[in-house]
Amino acid sequence: MSELRLKNRVAIVTGAGQGVGEGIARRLAQAGATVVVAARRAETGEPVVESIRSAGGLAVCIVTDVSVSRSVDECVEQTVQQFGRLDIMVHNAFMGGIPHKLEQAQIDKHWTSMSRTGVWASLFCARAAMPYLISSSARPAGQGGGRLILITSPSGIEGSANIPLYSPAKAAQRAITKSLAREWGQHGVTVNCIGPVAGSPALLRAFGRNPALQSAIEARTPLGRVGDITQDIGSVALFLSSDDSSFVTGQTIICDGGSFLGL
Amino acid sequence: MSVTVLGHGALAELLRSEVQCETPSTVIVVGVDGAVVVESLLDLTDEMIDVIYEQPMQQVIINLQEAHERGSHRIVVVVPTTGMSGGAGLVAQSALAESARVLVKSAARQWGQAGITVNAVAVEPHWFDIDPDVSGPVSIAPRSLVGQVSPVGVVSWLCSQTSGDITGQTIVCDGGLWM
Repeated sequence: MSELRLKNRVAIVTGAGQGVGEGIARRLAQAGATVVVAARRAETGEPVVESIRSAGGLAVCIVTDVSVSRSVDECVEQTVQQFGRLDIMVHNAFMGGIPHKLEQAQIDKHWTSMSRTGVWASLFCARAAMPYLISSSARPAGQGGGRLILITSPSGIEGSANIPLYSPAKAAQRAITKSLAREWGQHGVTVNCIGPVAGSPALLRAFGRNPALQSAIEARTPLGRVGDITQDIGSVALFLSSDDSSFVTGQTIICDGGSFLGL
Repeated sequence: MSVTVLGHGALAELLRSEVQCETPSTVIVVGVDGAVVVESLLDLTDEMIDVIYEQPMQQVIINLQEAHERGSHRIVVVVPTTGMSGGAGLVAQSALAESARVLVKSAARQWGQAGITVNAVAVEPHWFDIDPDVSGPVSIAPRSLVGQVSPVGVVSWLCSQTSGDITGQTIVCDGGLWM
């Protein structure tokens, strides 16, 4: 706990029961934030909370289904009731991603869950958090600063040959980021995206199914590895959550070791 | 005429009447409705997300599948630049435009081996009833070209045999407004 750049700030991280969300939750807690681990299942969220607490951080788990607007609203309401404020909303949770041929894709099977957890949930999280993020930015300098961070993917920029309908769900998050950056700039709230490639459970499972995938990704990555969920991805989220990024909004930071260089 | 134009509104009508080529082609004008402005996100209801984003996006997926099934060699998806630039009061519309534009890249990656090209054309927002005074300027400079800018030429070319080496791309046809 050597650097407490987020001391007294309160953050919600969705999908924090594992993977990138877990890494972001850990990193924000290391920086002094009180972190709400918003997980669909307590079985995944509570161990992350315990781990953060045992490291000296502050965290609670609120079971949240991001695909249901009422559930997101309740998560935000409980957070504000318990901690009195909300400064940082990170929407990371996402479900779906079954490989498919586009011409054979079925809306219910291949699209709906990604749309609900990627696109709709981004809007749910933004809408529920909006009043509190604005209030945070109204605090004196150094004592607040509303931040909305959406976790997208390089596939949201370059498309995907294996999971074609994954890309539009992730692309929408970048557009939402830009539009809300325009809308909320007047309030001092920043809105940004992170596009990570990290050792999440989903990616590690994909490596297990297709070992050649790991070597292919590492070969095309200048830094020669996939990212660490806490130190590599979480640190970018920390920057975007902190006062250091107060003039950065509407942007996507691709955090993938240089694999995607197309921006 | 081997061009099928899917979509509604003045732009779709213009393309339906003006675009001609010999290559089997489908042009999809995405159903972005810029007339519905939501000034505060707090006013964006779940029902509005469904109407403004979800249903038109599902239609894009279905239209692409139909284009593939009918044997189109050229597929062109037309969106406003608002997806790339963002637009105040148009968060769901911008999401729709960008989803459709990037789905083009996925389709291009999957269907390229079959000789099918899939590209996007991004046009001035006014074609989709988007008011730049509401959505915010997309550039600090005025449009480079003056007068009416029509996407007919670039859509016609992307539907033609001569554009066969181009796929997965977005051509911005807005007279140099968004750069």
